[in-house]
Amino acid sequence: MSLAPLPTAQLRARVLDAARRERVAASGEGARGRVAVLLRGFGVAAAIAVAAGIHGSEAKTPRPLGCILSLELLWLSLAVAATWAGVDRGRSMLGRPKAWRVAVAALTPAAMLAAWLPVAFAWPQTLVDTSGLRVHLICIGMTMALAAGPLIAFARLRRASDPVSPRLTGAALGAAAGAWGDAAHLPICGYTAPAHIVIGHILPVVLLALVGVVVGDRVVALRAEDARSPG
Amino acid sequence: MERYGAGDEAAFAAVYDALAPRLYGYLLRQTRDASRAEDLVQQTMLHIHRARVRFIPGARVTPWAFAIARRLFLDGLRRGRREVQVADDRDPDGGPSPGVSAEDVVHAREFAAQIERVLAGLPSSQRTAFELIKYHDLSVADAAHVLGTTVAAVKLRAHRAYEALRFALGDAVGDLEKGER
Repeated sequence: MSLAPLPTAQLRARVLDAARRERVAASGEGARGRVAVLLRGFGVAAAIAVAAGIHGSEAKTPRPLGCILSLELLWLSLAVAATWAGVDRGRSMLGRPKAWRVAVAALTPAAMLAAWLPVAFAWPQTLVDTSGLRVHLICIGMTMALAAGPLIAFARLRRASDPVSPRLTGAALGAAAGAWGDAAHLPICGYTAPAHIVIGHILPVVLLALVGVVVGDRVVALRAEDARSPG
Repeated sequence: MERYGAGDEAAFAAVYDALAPRLYGYLLRQTRDASRAEDLVQQTMLHIHRARVRFIPGARVTPWAFAIARRLFLDGLRRGRREVQVADDRDPDGGPSPGVSAEDVVHAREFAAQIERVLAGLPSSQRTAFELIKYHDLSVADAAHVLGTTVAAVKLRAHRAYEALRFALGDAVGDLEKGER
């Protein structure tokens, strides 16, 4: 509609000079760093899982192996899907569409609960167990502890990267990390009663999505004063 | 950006030349302050430079750059650093082209000022959508990326802005809505 005004030549010189002085690795070098960040995050989760596995479950009746394997497979698939849709940016520097991230944040806990239903019907004897409030609380803590490493890794990968909707991105990161935490926790926990699944395993994913909102605001958001180098 | 992300240091100058004028135009419209607009262009370009390490080959750069510029501008507003220059009579679009009559220039300026007044009275969501598409040549899809909303929402916002302009200015704005991509 109109002729565009142009920035000054001094600005060009200033920007190019500042960029020259501040060395940033090329994207190929960055890929190795991103893998290292993920390995560290998931390594911490694996170490916690191994330590908790050695300690063992308090459950008196062991669950059928088929039940554990089936649910583990389903929850792992959901964790991978949530990570792909909510953490990976796809082909856009601004990340996947907002609707995808909303879906990851809101639907991951629901999908995990839905995935548990057919397993519960296939092994109805696992619907009754002796878990109580104490066990629920332990599992909430364990799931969140196991999700902490992946969440930190995801947040580092997406640090200072979202200028549009960082809280939503953070919520998706939290939900994806929660799915990983649950997948790591499932073989260790000996309980599968409905109340325990909802309170001990699904609720932490919701809580982590909420934690993710804060992480998004503090870490993922791009800000004016931001001198943080992206991960 | 593709070459720059892959390690070609000299390509940043080309990235700057491709983006900075458009970003400057956008930020100048938002801030009405040339030095503030330049400051924001500098910050935006340095953010782009820092994000080189995680550049996705094949990703579109323009909506990303505009989204960064918009975020930096909004952050500045939030911190109360905006210096609104309502009474600023400077013409941000520069002087007239040679061969254009003084009468045409006056008429064009009046018309532009009328458009500005109408746009200023619109909700910022409608104004921004309209400006990104009409003044800064972003496609509807790119504007949707920048604003973090859907293509349908951007179309609706731009259409409402257009309707407001048409209501205020009549058929003189007839061509504005054409050509939305």
